[in-house]
Amino acid sequence: MFLVLSRQTAVPTNVSSLMGVDGHVSQGPWFASVLTLKTSAPLRAEPKKKKKVDPRREQMVRERLKKKLKKLERVPPELIPIEDFTTPAKYMDETRVRGAPQLPFEESERRALLLKEWSRYKQTQHRAEMEAVGLAVEAQREALEELRLESEELYQAALRPDPLLFPFNHQGPSYTPPKAQYEAPEGKYNNITKVYTQ
Amino acid sequence: MAAPCSRMANRPLWQFITNVRRTGLKHTGVRQISLSSACRAATQTRSKTEGVPSPWKLYGAVCLQRLPVISQERNPIEDQFAELMHQMELERSLLSDHEQRLLEDSERMTRKQADNYDSDEEEADYGGQETITAQDQEDTWEQKLKHFQPALRDRDVGGTPLGSVERCLGDSLVLLVQQTVGKETIWLLPQAQWEAGETLRQTAERGLSSLPGQLCGEADFKATFLGNTPCGVYRYKFPKEVRTERCVGAKVFFFKAFLSAGSASQKEPFLWVKKTELQGYLKPPYLEKVDRFILNL
Repeated sequence: MFLVLSRQTAVPTNVSSLMGVDGHVSQGPWFASVLTLKTSAPLRAEPKKKKKVDPRREQMVRERLKKKLKKLERVPPELIPIEDFTTPAKYMDETRVRGAPQLPFEESERRALLLKEWSRYKQTQHRAEMEAVGLAVEAQREALEELRLESEELYQAALRPDPLLFPFNHQGPSYTPPKAQYEAPEGKYNNITKVYTQ
Repeated sequence: MAAPCSRMANRPLWQFITNVRRTGLKHTGVRQISLSSACRAATQTRSKTEGVPSPWKLYGAVCLQRLPVISQERNPIEDQFAELMHQMELERSLLSDHEQRLLEDSERMTRKQADNYDSDEEEADYGGQETITAQDQEDTWEQKLKHFQPALRDRDVGGTPLGSVERCLGDSLVLLVQQTVGKETIWLLPQAQWEAGETLRQTAERGLSSLPGQLCGEADFKATFLGNTPCGVYRYKFPKEVRTERCVGAKVFFFKAFLSAGSASQKEPFLWVKKTELQGYLKPPYLEKVDRFILNL
């Protein structure tokens, strides 16, 4: 409708510019045909209707596809199986069972008493460790107190964390000490661990 | 008037005090007298840091530890328990692939040696392969293991000197040096006097690097310091002859460090001692403070 109106308003101005002072629209054959061409084409044209409805239709199709995609995406990702928790089938075989030994009474008694003694030993060890750590913490606290009494600046410097300390790596104790100038034999291995992606 | 008064009372004491100081009114002179003793002490320390130098000399010392290289020997009870655990685990376990193979091979051997042995039947089952028994494999593995000679665990049989780092490999050792303090030469943890403009940790690092062996270039200790905080303090007063108005005594702050790399050749001035051996070298009051933060874990 808008386009039609604008066309109609545009027409008289065109004509007046051509005709000059006279504002009448002279019904010349050429003008009429031009007018009909101009007015009829937009009113009857199917491509113009497609321009209105097609974007809507395409939008509808796109929305439907997006909804389908969202529904598919809502499915939670498949969980990666933890291989340690599933017992492999070959270990459920009965032929693998070791004969359960019949323990004599003395042996079972000895085991029970040894376990109790072990728990007592571990308890004393743990208590000693906790005490030692407590003493060390107390010593540090005293040191910081004394430092604070001395100078605030040094105290603040002491409280600052050390960025270069971490990552801290240290090789722990082994059963035998390292051999000097020992060349380990070279070998290769095939890594067959299964890698899962979600 | 009632409302503001109650609000003042609800505020904590320290806020009230700071407010009073900020306002600086004349009538607050009366209030300041009634301040708590803690606040008075705070003002004293503040004035100390501003102008008056402390009468204590500061030293930074380093407690350099060489961590154990091998595991310790087991106690009798630990031995017994380890054996028991091994036994129990073996009883509760299933047969492994290798053990099953051993059983099969032994069964096959008994069948071969039986009177009614049919070799064709056996070969049909096993496809006529050259079988290497599991027992043979075990023997070859044992032979290979014998070729490797590991280093000996207990090297102290030869009596390594106290100055060597390779001493008791199963325990953690602490570095001691002999330094002249005042008039005496005593064994103590390496220390250096604090100079203005450096943190105490830098003092400790300087104390470590300025050891006589280090300066010559013979002994080279690469230490990793565990943070900027001191782990202990030892405070002592000078004998009355040396004491003056300015310096009453000294405070030694200790810092912990782990030895990451060290050279083997060391001269006498160094000592690497276990925690139990410290008693023979350090003075009792010093040892009392140092013993607390040296952990034997």
